[in-house]
Amino acid sequence: MADPARVKPESGSESNSAAEDIAQNESTEGGSVDDTSAPEVSTSQVIPKDEDKAGSAKVSVTGEDDEEGPSGLHPPPAKKLKVEPEKKKEKRHKVDEDEIQKMQVLVSSFSEEQLNRYEMYRRSAFPKAAIKRLIQSITGSSVSQNVVIAMSGISKVFAGEIVEEALDVCEKWGDTPPLQPKHMREAVRRLKNKDQIPNTKYKRILLG
Amino acid sequence: MADDEEDQGFDDDLDESGNGADVGHGKRKRLFSKELRCMMYGFGDDQNPYTESVDILEDLVIEFITEMTHKAMSIGRQGRVQVEDIVFLIRKDPRKFARVKDLLTMNEELKRARKAFDEANYGS
Repeated sequence: MADPARVKPESGSESNSAAEDIAQNESTEGGSVDDTSAPEVSTSQVIPKDEDKAGSAKVSVTGEDDEEGPSGLHPPPAKKLKVEPEKKKEKRHKVDEDEIQKMQVLVSSFSEEQLNRYEMYRRSAFPKAAIKRLIQSITGSSVSQNVVIAMSGISKVFAGEIVEEALDVCEKWGDTPPLQPKHMREAVRRLKNKDQIPNTKYKRILLG
Repeated sequence: MADDEEDQGFDDDLDESGNGADVGHGKRKRLFSKELRCMMYGFGDDQNPYTESVDILEDLVIEFITEMTHKAMSIGRQGRVQVEDIVFLIRKDPRKFARVKDLLTMNEELKRARKAFDEANYGS
């Protein structure tokens, strides 16, 4: 997989469209899409949940880099978030179209197995009825449709984060997929340390 | 003999809970088995993930939803879960935040499109 440090200076060339996707998605969620290359499929390209507008907040980062022209040295993404409001909208629109195009190029070059996986990735979803039932059984009152939509969307992202982390663990331990419970548990442990898994069962004690 | 009976009893308990491996929330029926399998494949796992892994993931997702719901009930309007609460809780996590924003925006667009379509039909 492309090394993020190397990708940005080459930005602008078509062949790196996929790599740019990875770069901008790696800047989105640091650490989740690692340099570990999943041997079978380019999963790390597919994993980030950017649909067309999704990465728009973060995409402006890469967009800005494009306009500065290729440079060997570029500032880290985190510092480049101050953009004037008017420029931001045009850039976001232009970058959206770029991103759509790049996705099309990428998807058109998928192998059959990758296409299957991508289709599963996009289409799989939690059943709204079950989620609604679950939430209502907890609240005791009815919830609006938007809540169900939001909750199922977040849950899918959550599941994705765990599976990604578990795949990292699996690779690190020299195992192969399918994922085993021990990988899942180690992934949960790691994510808990990063505070990505909510847990209100135990009171946190600050000192002592 | 006594040992055998004990073992059988133990196994029967596990079988009744419907889930041999991980007896965390064993009593509940599996809600998302099919969907989670597809999801795990989509996220990079094997085409046939292990059932135990799917179970663990289901438990985690249900726990996540439960935690979020409880937190959402405790902020904003008490005792109710509203979208604003969820968005607030998620604000620190860039991925989830972006995803929720997208989903809600797309939903609005779809509703508007459907409404416009229906009105167009009604007019003509």
